[in-house]
Amino acid sequence: MSITWLQAALFGLLACLASLPGLGGTTFGNYTLGRPLVAGLIVGLIMGDVSTGIIVGAAIQVVYIALVTPGGTVSADVRAISYIGIPLSIMAIKGLGLNPASSQAQQMATSLGAAVGTLGTVLFYGTATINLIWQHIGWKAVEKGELKKLYLVDMGLPWISHIICSFLPVFIITLLGSNMVGLIKSYLPMDGIVMKTLFTAGSMLPAVGIAILLKQVVKKPSDILTFVFGFTLCACMGLNLIGAAVVAGFLSMLVYKIKLVSIEEKDNREAALPVSQLEDEEDI
Amino acid sequence: METKEEIAANPKKVSKKALNRSFWNWFYGNLTCFSQEHMQTFGYMCAMLPVIEELYDTKEEQTKAMQTYTAFFNTEPQIGTVIVGMTVGMEEAKANGGNVDGEMIDAIRAGLMGPLAGIGDSLIVGTLIPILLGISLGMSKGGSPLGAIFYAVVWNFLAIFGMRYLYKTGYKLGGRAVKILVGEKANAIRDAVLMVGTVVIGGVAASWINIKTSLVIQNSGAKTPILDLQKTLDNIYPGLLTMVFVLFCWWLMSKKRMSPTTVMLVIVGIAFLGCLVGFFNPGLKY
Repeated sequence: MSITWLQAALFGLLACLASLPGLGGTTFGNYTLGRPLVAGLIVGLIMGDVSTGIIVGAAIQVVYIALVTPGGTVSADVRAISYIGIPLSIMAIKGLGLNPASSQAQQMATSLGAAVGTLGTVLFYGTATINLIWQHIGWKAVEKGELKKLYLVDMGLPWISHIICSFLPVFIITLLGSNMVGLIKSYLPMDGIVMKTLFTAGSMLPAVGIAILLKQVVKKPSDILTFVFGFTLCACMGLNLIGAAVVAGFLSMLVYKIKLVSIEEKDNREAALPVSQLEDEEDI
Repeated sequence: METKEEIAANPKKVSKKALNRSFWNWFYGNLTCFSQEHMQTFGYMCAMLPVIEELYDTKEEQTKAMQTYTAFFNTEPQIGTVIVGMTVGMEEAKANGGNVDGEMIDAIRAGLMGPLAGIGDSLIVGTLIPILLGISLGMSKGGSPLGAIFYAVVWNFLAIFGMRYLYKTGYKLGGRAVKILVGEKANAIRDAVLMVGTVVIGGVAASWINIKTSLVIQNSGAKTPILDLQKTLDNIYPGLLTMVFVLFCWWLMSKKRMSPTTVMLVIVGIAFLGCLVGFFNPGLKY
């Protein structure tokens, strides 16, 4: 299986739109086209195998389920994960003759996706650095009062950054990717330690993605129990994810109501206080 | 320049069309020209331009008003829409000779962008998106495209309507709009949503991660092994190894302050050692 020029060009264009900072905008570009699950569907459509695309995209999505980028520091690049990682994974799965639905295929995709995503951060810093040139042009324009030029600076010129840092790398790497599978086959036997490590790491890497998210939401140790509760619902009690979300929604409604009661009580107590005691409390 | 009386009799009002253009400029352009030096500054200026062009007639006044927005700006772009709405309202008051100047607008922007980035990162990127993705992953088993379509539609619908609401609320209420996001009731809602997110993430971990050991101790010739570790673990708690690994990674990141990339390398190291000693074996052949 190989990738045609047209397919590679489409991946390149999608990479321009889906990056962070991408030209599809934050909501529709980065958070929609850039999510591996959505990219799995799109890449699958382009390569003519939707179900393999989705399986690969979903497996990689677990690793990057919460890609929080505080203050613009990224640990993985979505354009590389989604539009280099997914096409290469599909080719590798087909080329190595793995069953797409098998856990081995998903492990392969996860390892490949994570490796490409980490190396891809160079594309993120590249784009941001080239954008400095356009911003420089923007400051000159503001100084001279040519305010209309701001649109060109914000939405037009960054295309050049993306042709260099998104379109070309994705186009070239996916086009050459078909050779990669042959190389893997001849140099790395499946029962060798390298491939064993690759697949085993692939089964473990999603744990890192979940842990990134846990770090974000766990404020006190008892919050871990909420996570264990969700795990138990699915692992021991056999609920699917929608079922687990419904149970969680119900419980959180109870929690919210309990909190409302205590807030109202506090408000009532404050209303009963004389005005003088409230004065040093600052209003937001 | 018009006198104060003239302005009071006929106050300037930003038209619906300009508000719309301003909103969509922000929605699309908030990060398109991102650099490490000025992250969302240019997106912000593009969002203010339609408003400023309408409020001020001469090129000099427009350029002068724009100076306020040349300061560094960065926040979570979706929740941060409320700041854009607020400053549009303040700019309108300023153009009408109200009790507002550029420094005040700048102070509001600079004061809110940090706290709102924190709220947005935990609520939108850390909770809402993972919940939606978790549910969508549940619909994607076996390669069904339903989950991806569900996510794309529901997320964009929620984001566009939510951002429009924040923009309008910010424009109308000004400083009071912040209460919607940081008041006590808002905190209660946030805690509740966060709880749903944490449970769903537990579910995602249980259904999508499958770490298994292949360690089996068997006497030569015997039919049943002395120890089939995976079976023993399953009897204790299904998915025990998966749970241990997730908590281990969390511990490395939050207590040992490792970066995600370092943790990934640690994982590869463990996988390598585990395969060497036979604890892990994916069992593959051509």
